[in-house]
Amino acid sequence: MTQLFEGIGIALGSLRGNKARAALTILGIAIGVMVVMIIASMISGINRSVQHTFESIAPRTFLVWRWFQAGVNISDGSEETSPWRRNPAISGEEADRIALLPSVRYVTRRDESSARVEFGDLALESVNISGLSSQWVEVNGGDVYPGRTFTRLEDLANSRVVVINKKLEAQLFRGRDPIGHTIKIAGVPFEVIGVYTPAPSLFSGASPPFAGIPHGAFEKYVPFWKGWMKLAIAPVEDVPQQQAIDEVTALLRSMRSLKPAQENTFSIITQDKLLDTWQQVTGVFFLVMIALSSIGLMVGGVGVVAIMMISVTERTREIGVRKALGATKREILWQFLVEAATLTLVGGAIGMLVGGTVAWVLSKATPIPAYVPIWSIVVALAASVLTGIGFGLYPANRAARLDPVEALRYE
Amino acid sequence: MSLAQQFRTGDTPLPDIIILTHKLARAYDMGGEVVRALRGVSLQIRRNEYVAIMGPSGSGKSTLMNLIGCLDTPTGGEYWLNGQKVSDLGDDALARIRNKEIGFVFQTFNLLPRATALHNVELPLIYAGLGAKERRAQAAQALERVGLGDRMEHRPNELSGGQRQRVAIARALVNDPSILLADEPTGNLDSATSGEIMEVFGALHRQGQTVVMVTHEHDIAAHAARVVTLRDGLVATDQRQAA
Repeated sequence: MTQLFEGIGIALGSLRGNKARAALTILGIAIGVMVVMIIASMISGINRSVQHTFESIAPRTFLVWRWFQAGVNISDGSEETSPWRRNPAISGEEADRIALLPSVRYVTRRDESSARVEFGDLALESVNISGLSSQWVEVNGGDVYPGRTFTRLEDLANSRVVVINKKLEAQLFRGRDPIGHTIKIAGVPFEVIGVYTPAPSLFSGASPPFAGIPHGAFEKYVPFWKGWMKLAIAPVEDVPQQQAIDEVTALLRSMRSLKPAQENTFSIITQDKLLDTWQQVTGVFFLVMIALSSIGLMVGGVGVVAIMMISVTERTREIGVRKALGATKREILWQFLVEAATLTLVGGAIGMLVGGTVAWVLSKATPIPAYVPIWSIVVALAASVLTGIGFGLYPANRAARLDPVEALRYE
Repeated sequence: MSLAQQFRTGDTPLPDIIILTHKLARAYDMGGEVVRALRGVSLQIRRNEYVAIMGPSGSGKSTLMNLIGCLDTPTGGEYWLNGQKVSDLGDDALARIRNKEIGFVFQTFNLLPRATALHNVELPLIYAGLGAKERRAQAAQALERVGLGDRMEHRPNELSGGQRQRVAIARALVNDPSILLADEPTGNLDSATSGEIMEVFGALHRQGQTVVMVTHEHDIAAHAARVVTLRDGLVATDQRQAA
């Protein structure tokens, strides 16, 4: 224990003695740890808010999409790389038939596009427009206040009513009460009936201007890319989610005349599946991050070998003296290992401070909800110490093996 | 030489004999050519003797001093230190012996430049495994013994040559060793300071300390009670003289 403290003291002393050299050595370690901290804090932060988002949606709701695939998909336009072409679009008839199933409480449709929105002299281009069924707020989470969302009747009647989000409200109305005013979407007048606030979630602070209108009105008035309607389905209260999924699957398969051996030509997505997918994607990020930081630590480690070799050579005489005064091989080895580990630990700590600061600034200045998990601090410090010990082993061993007579004679 | 024990291989030294070498030999392999630096040195040093080892360069005195200091192992013969046969011990055991039995004083002082005088003197106690409090107390006491009680927090570059050598002597004494082994202790000092250091050695000898000193200067060797001269790896002369 005494020697541990002595070793740390010696290491800090030689750090002070050779500031420039030590700084260069620990730079690699510091950068490696800094990258880990920043990416880890971003992924953890995003993870947390994604989880939060999923939790805010009614947990038993599931989605029916034409195509869903985990991860990134690259298509060059050929049949093989565009598997969604084999799946027909979800049709309105299918949605209506699903709504009649005994286990299904309601079905909401969703189509998306963007269009020009005008109010008085103001005009905004490329505002996100969604065509939605009346229960969309229950599915998406969030709240409409002031005002209300459209009713089932307005949905069925293709009424020209619109719910806008805070951002669009701010940009069009600039502090005035929007309720009851008429705005034009793709040139068609709609009455504003409510302001939507989404559930607090990922990027919610930066959500772009958005307008939600009844799905029928959307199909009628807004130009959009047909064939990508998405359904969200809520099962009846006491029915298990799986039962509803089975019924929906059976219905769609029979409507599409699929034989038992054929695969589904649609995707059913539960929140568990979304979470899994998300975790797969972040898992890949973590792997990349670990690879990147290992490279940083390796480079730093090579620097540690270099500086420790120089240090051992410069202090050959000191090693001789210590041996003459009774230090064993193990004690010399230990001293230099502690020194290498202290060097990398300081590098790791600096990298952590810088990385943590960057993460904090990110979370304050941008919508990325960066958050530094405790485990990443522990892992970063442990990794830097291990790097020091691993790469310090060779120079430390050389020091320990020095012959005391020759070491004392060294000039 | 009349006081010497008639020693044969297999014998144990008398308890009063602190250093006993019997036909001690050390050969070096210099790229295929064997150099015999020591060719059978038999030497006995009793407790509280003050011995100077002299000889021209190449006579083997450095080799002998490395062997006596347990920094090196012989290739032949026996070496007994304080009743223990150390000539066939391993590295770790030799490190322990150096720590407990031997106090080194070097020509170039060999203090750690970044450490304070106190910390330099503490070093042997660290390797002896003493706790911090005890270490500090003993190191302070050793520094006071050599008259440097007011220089404990100074670094070597803030001390004069003579003061540095006193710190080195304090470091050598702090573990209460069986022998004080000095290698050209005044080689880097002017004659006035050399005199001071020799007085310290003399005082330690009078207090009962066994002192072995390697030197090539006759006036330094004159302070010792006994002078052993080496030539070509063998003892040439061994004389007692009035102090």
